[in-house]
Amino acid sequence: MVQVDANSKIALRIKFKKTGKLQYISHLDLVRTMHKIIIRAKLPIWYTEGFNPKPKMVFAAPLSIGTESFSEFMDVRLTERIDTAEAMRALNANMTDEMQVTEAYYPETKFTEMRWLSYTMLIKTDNADKSLAEACDNVLNSEKIEVLKNTKSGEALVDIKPLIRSASAVLDGENIRISAVLSSDPSTFLNPEYVIKALREKVGIISNPDCTKEGYSIIRENSFFEDMSAFK
Amino acid sequence: MHNSKIPSSVLKSVQKPGRYIGGEYNSVIKDKNKVKCRFAFAFPDTYEIGMSNLGVRILYDTINAHKNIWCERVYAPWTDMQEKMRQYEIPLTAQESGDPLSAFDMVAFSLQYELCYTTALAMIKMAGFPLLSKDRGEDTPIIVGGGPCVYNPEPIADFFDLINIGEGEEVLLEICDLYIKMKEEGSYSRAAFLREASHIEGVYIPSLYDVTYNDDGTIKEYKPLYEDVPTKIRKRIVADMDKAPYPEKLVMPYIETVHDRIVLEVYRGCIRGCRFCQAGMVYRPIREKSPETLCKQAKCLFDNTGYDEISLISLSISDYSELPKLTDDLLSWTDEAHVSLSLPSLRIDSFSEELMQKVSSVRTGGITFAPEAGTQRLRDVINKNVTEEDLMRSVGIAFRGGKSNIKLYFMNGLPTETLDDIKGIAELATKVVGEYFKLPKPERPKGIGVTISVSCFVPKPFTPFQWEKQDSYELLMEKQAYLRDCITDRRVRYTYHEAKVSFIEAVLARGDRRLAPAILYAVENGAIFDAWDEYFDYDRWISAFEACGIDPAFYTTRGFGLDEILPWDIIDIGVTKAFLRRERDKAYKGETTPSCAEKCSGCGANKLGGKNRWCK
Ligand code: SF4
Repeated sequence: MVQVDANSKIALRIKFKKTGKLQYISHLDLVRTMHKIIIRAKLPIWYTEGFNPKPKMVFAAPLSIGTESFSEFMDVRLTERIDTAEAMRALNANMTDEMQVTEAYYPETKFTEMRWLSYTMLIKTDNADKSLAEACDNVLNSEKIEVLKNTKSGEALVDIKPLIRSASAVLDGENIRISAVLSSDPSTFLNPEYVIKALREKVGIISNPDCTKEGYSIIRENSFFEDMSAFK
Repeated sequence: MHNSKIPSSVLKSVQKPGRYIGGEYNSVIKDKNKVKCRFAFAFPDTYEIGMSNLGVRILYDTINAHKNIWCERVYAPWTDMQEKMRQYEIPLTAQESGDPLSAFDMVAFSLQYELCYTTALAMIKMAGFPLLSKDRGEDTPIIVGGGPCVYNPEPIADFFDLINIGEGEEVLLEICDLYIKMKEEGSYSRAAFLREASHIEGVYIPSLYDVTYNDDGTIKEYKPLYEDVPTKIRKRIVADMDKAPYPEKLVMPYIETVHDRIVLEVYRGCIRGCRFCQAGMVYRPIREKSPETLCKQAKCLFDNTGYDEISLISLSISDYSELPKLTDDLLSWTDEAHVSLSLPSLRIDSFSEELMQKVSSVRTGGITFAPEAGTQRLRDVINKNVTEEDLMRSVGIAFRGGKSNIKLYFMNGLPTETLDDIKGIAELATKVVGEYFKLPKPERPKGIGVTISVSCFVPKPFTPFQWEKQDSYELLMEKQAYLRDCITDRRVRYTYHEAKVSFIEAVLARGDRRLAPAILYAVENGAIFDAWDEYFDYDRWISAFEACGIDPAFYTTRGFGLDEILPWDIIDIGVTKAFLRRERDKAYKGETTPSCAEKCSGCGANKLGGKNRWCK
């Protein structure tokens, strides 16, 4: 009989940011990095049983390379309950400024209850003006937004509109600013890159072949339940 | 907020952008206006390889401990990034500040293998500096070379302003201190600094020597241009390894690197005297760290890095005189902390059941042994003091311990090698397979496989075989084919090293100053990453030699005369030429030499001093 470690049920949830240069770190590398951080922070880590014991870390909604985030979540299993403020302090002391824990608590929800993610996208394009911003806004608010998407059965034209809860575009100085709330459900997860892609195809933003002249940045701002209350 | 001056759209368009961003945990940031010397440590290969290098890790930490110096890291951008850098005129920058190399006072290259020379020069080019030392003006940083390759500094002598011979922990600081002092006094000029630096032990300034040649192409004389410049450069060593600086923390890469773990250097040098091995000679004398020092360092590094693996390294780890104590002391806390131990270099004669249980890399990884030669006769010639019985005993233990895949390393082209020795490689592999079948059937692990991996001998400077000739490419090909024919057992897999690569490696390892134009030609024609199969271009090297009137055979298949002045004779590694000569003569008689632990053979390295157990 395998003894079930009663304590192994204790999961500590942290919310953290991954900003600046860390947008170029892949999810896999983030997992390896976090592994070392929790060891350095000397959290009472619970290890899996068996031949090759490992800490148990679970991450919510993956983040693709090139997106910054203020709303990442990870659960890590501990062997005992510790003070959350102390855990947060220890973790932050072992991270660089671009990755910091903003909340630590013992969760009552599952990651699968997270439904929506909000993003801000800043587009730098030569032809940015009020009418271009309006054109973008029109696309985002049309009935159907079809883009070529990689699916399990190869590339296909997919309507991403149902995966967008809300989206708008405005002119912000010399840039176009998009605010969007997109699906985070694992089965219908929408990568914000597809929103940019749709605008590229339909309105012709970012057409300069010199990639230092035009471009865009994406920031994940927040995570929500189905009813748009903040995920916790 | 980005240190990185590379536009984000460029970072998004290259493979593994994490290579270029810096900002790693434990990387050192200083105020550039408050330091007196900015030092760039350049590694002429990818980030993943450079970040794994122990020497760089040690020196990064040692130099940054000095409050007046800021040491930063620089790596070779991969070819996709190089293309973008050319397209958008992005200069080569340092990881920490993101500043171009022109902002530095010194740029030091760690030269770990000869095939990285072209990458180093390509980096100098990317930085916008003249490739030849003589063309550099007062504004260019001092370009420094160091590392194991520079024991023969001559092929790259024209490209480096200053070369550090031997271990860098102390001498690099002395060089920086001199630089700072001369700048502050106002006595600094490039020439004055280099002249003054030539007086520091372990510093070689190639431009302060004139080399002349005989009619037959051999070297006639090395002549210092001034009386105060030393006629021979003695390598530097760290005397006491227990007091030597060792990093307390490591820069933590975000992306996966080649050796992504704690590396504990257990001792320097090697008590064995394998006659083909350059490391075994140039790192003498042997200096061990105490188990106490090692345990302290291991614990401290674990706390500051969070790595879950500690690798104990040295040239031949099982020769460490206190290995049982060290592993026991480490195991007293590592198991509980879920940290595993690994040993990368096991000798055949030291392999034991106990080690297999203690050390997880042995427990879980593949097993590799290096008999190097196929017959006892040839193993005696090269002074690899292991026997067939040792090997059979060790593979027996491995099989019983559940290992089914054994890898054996050999070399082709060793001095005095005959076809019998080559056949012996195949026979030895077959005997290893036989050892597996000696086990009762239920005890045999599943899926026996023996791989023999054969490289080509390169006669390296400062070895007893330094005078030897290298087999010609054609002969090596014949030998490789013959060995393939000798292998009849289908459970034996055969892989071999590309002979063309070893040939170029030999030229670069054994050359003199006259090679510079050919190396320059190769770089101007796009050579970079020669150590990567996909970028190594043999034909480009051959055209380079042809264009510059160099006969590569002069450095390889010709061999060097015993009385000839060798290109590296300007360097004193401690071990004497007379000792190397004695060892060579013994090799030809098939006589072995005992290890330093059994008996001191008077190699000469003891004159360098250093706290150690064996030297008389
Ligand atoms: S002096 Fe003797 S003991 Fe010391 S390294 Fe040389 S041979 Fe070995």
